[in-house]
Formats: sequence, C-alpha cells, structure tokens
Amino acid sequence: MRDKHVVIDVGDGAAIPDPEDKGLFTAWRISFFGTLGIIAYLLIFRPDPYLDIIKFLPDGIVVTFQVTFASIGLALVLGLIAGLGRISKNTFFNLVASTYIEVIRGIPLLVQLFYIYFALGHLVRVPDMVAAIVAMGFCYGAYMGEVFRAGILSIDDGQTEASLSLGFNRSQTMRYVILPQAWRIILPPVGNEFIALLKDTSLVSIIAVSDILRRGREFASESFLYFETYTMIALIYLVITLILSKILSNVEHRLSHYERR
Amino acid sequence: MNADNPIISIQKVHKSFGTFKALDDVSLNVDAGQKVVVIGPSGSGKSTLLRTINRLETISSGSIVVDGRDINDSASDINRIRAELGMVFQSFNLFRHKSVLDNLTLAPIKLKKTPRAQAEQHAMELLEKVGLVDKAESYPVQLSGGQQQRVAIARALAMNPKIMLFDEPTSALDPEMIGEVLEVMVTLAREGMTMVVVTHEMGFAREVADSVVFMDEGKIVEVAPPDRFFDNPEHKRTQRFLEQIL
Repeated sequence: MRDKHVVIDVGDGAAIPDPEDKGLFTAWRISFFGTLGIIAYLLIFRPDPYLDIIKFLPDGIVVTFQVTFASIGLALVLGLIAGLGRISKNTFFNLVASTYIEVIRGIPLLVQLFYIYFALGHLVRVPDMVAAIVAMGFCYGAYMGEVFRAGILSIDDGQTEASLSLGFNRSQTMRYVILPQAWRIILPPVGNEFIALLKDTSLVSIIAVSDILRRGREFASESFLYFETYTMIALIYLVITLILSKILSNVEHRLSHYERR
Repeated sequence: MNADNPIISIQKVHKSFGTFKALDDVSLNVDAGQKVVVIGPSGSGKSTLLRTINRLETISSGSIVVDGRDINDSASDINRIRAELGMVFQSFNLFRHKSVLDNLTLAPIKLKKTPRAQAEQHAMELLEKVGLVDKAESYPVQLSGGQQQRVAIARALAMNPKIMLFDEPTSALDPEMIGEVLEVMVTLAREGMTMVVVTHEMGFAREVADSVVFMDEGKIVEVAPPDRFFDNPEHKRTQRFLEQIL
C-alpha cells in the first residue's frame, strides 16, 4: 500500500519530461533547442520576412496566455466542483455533475465555442474574450472533473478513516487530507490539460479574438506569406508548450518531496 | 466511574453486510480505565465491533453509548465524540503528505484551535514517549512500519482522547518490530488509559488485559479475565481456538 503509485494518463497535451532523466540528449532538449535554433536561423539569415512576422505576433501571444490562464482557472474551479459532485452521495449533486460532464464531452469544442459565442451574444452583449473564456472553461472543466474524481478516488480509504477518527468532518477531511494528496496525483494530467488548452485556444481565433493564430492570419492575408507566417506560428506554439512542460515537470518534482525516502 | 456506569456501553448490536451477519446481538461494557482485548478468528467480527464504537461502521440495530452519548443519535456530534476516541489502524494510515510533527499537530491545531507552538510542544512530548523525537521532521515513507505505528499512536494521543481503540495494530508489522509497538501500548495501559484492543498478540492480552473477549461468527462467545480465559476457558469453541494458536 505504501508503494502505491497511481498514474492517470489523459494524454492530450505535450509529453512532460521526466525529471529523473539525466541523459544529455532528451526528446525535450532536442525539440526545444532545435526549435530555438531554427527560429534563430530564420531571423538571422531570412530577416525579411521572418523578423516582420515575429514583430507582429507579441500582442497575440499575450492574448493567448490571457485566454489560457483565465480558462484554466475557470476549468479548475468547475472541475473541482464536478469531480466532488461525481463522487458525492447526494443524488441531485451527483446527477448535475455527471450530466454536465456527459453533455460537454459529447460536443466538439469548436461547436461549443460557436454556440456559447452566439447564444450569449443573443442574451447579453459580452466581449468576445469573455465568450471564449467561458466556452473554454466549461469544456475543460468537464475533462478536469474526471481528473479530479480519479485523483480523489486514488487516495487510500485509510487516510479518510484516520482523519475521521481524529474528529475531522467530511469536508475538513477533503480539505486537509485528501485534496493535498490528490493534488500531487492530478498535477501531471492537469498540466497536460493546461498545455492542451493552450493549444486549443487557437480555436478562439475563429470568433474574433486576436490570439497568436488570428494575428498570424491577419498578417498572412495582407502579405500573402502564408507558408512563412504559419511556420513561425507553429515554432512559437512549440517553444511555449515545451517551456510549459518543463516548468510542470519541475513543479511536479518539487511536489513529490514526501514520496522520497 | 463504577461498573454501573461504563464509559462504553454496547447493547444488542446487530450489523449485516447483505445477508452476512457481521455482528449478531453483541453486548459489551467497558469501564473507564479498563483494558479490554478482543480476540477471535478472522471474519469473527472483532474489527467490525471496534469500528462501530467510533461509527466508522454503522450498525443495523442496537445502541452504542460512549461517555454518556448515544453515538448513533443524530443529536450527538459524532465528530466531537470521535475526537475523544483515539484510533490506531492496522495499516497505520499516517498522512503521507505531512511530516511526523505535522501529523501530530494537524488535528489539535485545526479542531481544538491549539496555538501551533503549544501543539508542537505537546507533539514533541508524545514523540519522546514513543521514542521518535529524532524523526519529527521525517515523512511517513521514510519510517519503518514499527516507527509509523508508534507515530500513529502518538497522533491519536495528541487529541488527549479518553479512550484508545486499537485495530490489529501489529498485524501488518514485521516480527522484529512488533515488540516496540507493544511496549508503547503497555506503557499507555500502565498510565491508566481506557483501551479496547483487537489483536492476535496473546502475550499482550495476558499481560495487560483486565478482560479478554472472544468472538466468533459475529457473536461474543466468552468474556473472562486473562488468567481464567487462557488457563481455563469455559467454552469448547474458545478451547479449540486457543489450541490452534498457542
């Protein structure tokens, strides 16, 4: 029981590098430094048009990050509620959470995006950015709910019993004992979802949010440099996701301190 | 408190899992300061009985009164009652994400609002008692089974319980570690703690128990002081069990 290791593999984001991997040539290093090398090469030897393209994109990068962080925040809150609902013995709460997850997971994100954008547009006038964040947050909240549920259920019942026997009630047990341990287990899949979400924010370019991709499309449609623009966009997305997966790997390593002998 | 007013009073308790009768009309009184050791073959209901005392298992019928409060009455605050009932588990169940010191101080700080410094001082005294002062900053995975169980006992004591419940505390331990845990339990017994212990350690039962309870198939078969229980058991079933294990 002491050596129980739980791995939740949702596998949609980038691969998280293994912090124990001490080799010089890791997949992460090859990808990361390879990408930086290509970008550097293009900027130095083909400044026209690549320097112009990269100068045009920073505003989009900021927007992409804004949408990503706001959406993941909403998704984590919804995911925690949905995950707790899915394991709740309260039938009503359980059904609401389960239905939310079933419905959301059955609709493509792009369709949800259009739907929330236009449906919200009919009811209330919301900024495009808000519609994008609500849609992304609700969609990823459903996936996150399943991650939270699996993480919470993976914690040994003995932990709950020990906590209850000390006099903690159910919600204190969840807060002080179960969630802090579940968090360690769900961090890798949450990190994966985070990176997957960042990539999926490229969809919001369709509903008039000026993220990286939309900025790129604007540049391309004026300059007709489609190949060059999309090359640079792909490289930038890759650098961002590789940096994020490295950060997550380090955080994960730090969080696991109590598992080390 | 006298024999007419036991600190734990279990009356006509029944508990079924489906058609299986885990507890079948069980009645047992424990007086303050008494040490009761419950033994019996596996599946006899002894752990279930222990777990009903702090309501980790609910009962189908009957009543359990702890320190004057019916634990299955919705008017009783079960969390408050549990805080007075220390429990030690077979699988230790230390909080894996907390250091040894934090395992001991979590409940006093959060539930009793004890100031941290005071909780830590009490925790260190308890660690001294179980001989693990030098492990205060360690995490549970870094400890041996025997050390973990001693920390678990200290954690339960940190809430200053009136009663300690032990659910096969040495069954998951390597043989060479059983002694160190039993030693702590004997010390605790000498200090006058009320204890209910489910165990297979007959030496401990003989040395410490005021009363030995033998259970089989969900029923209490025999209750007797240890010398009479081990040397001159009344029931055939008890005799057979003792022959098998001694």
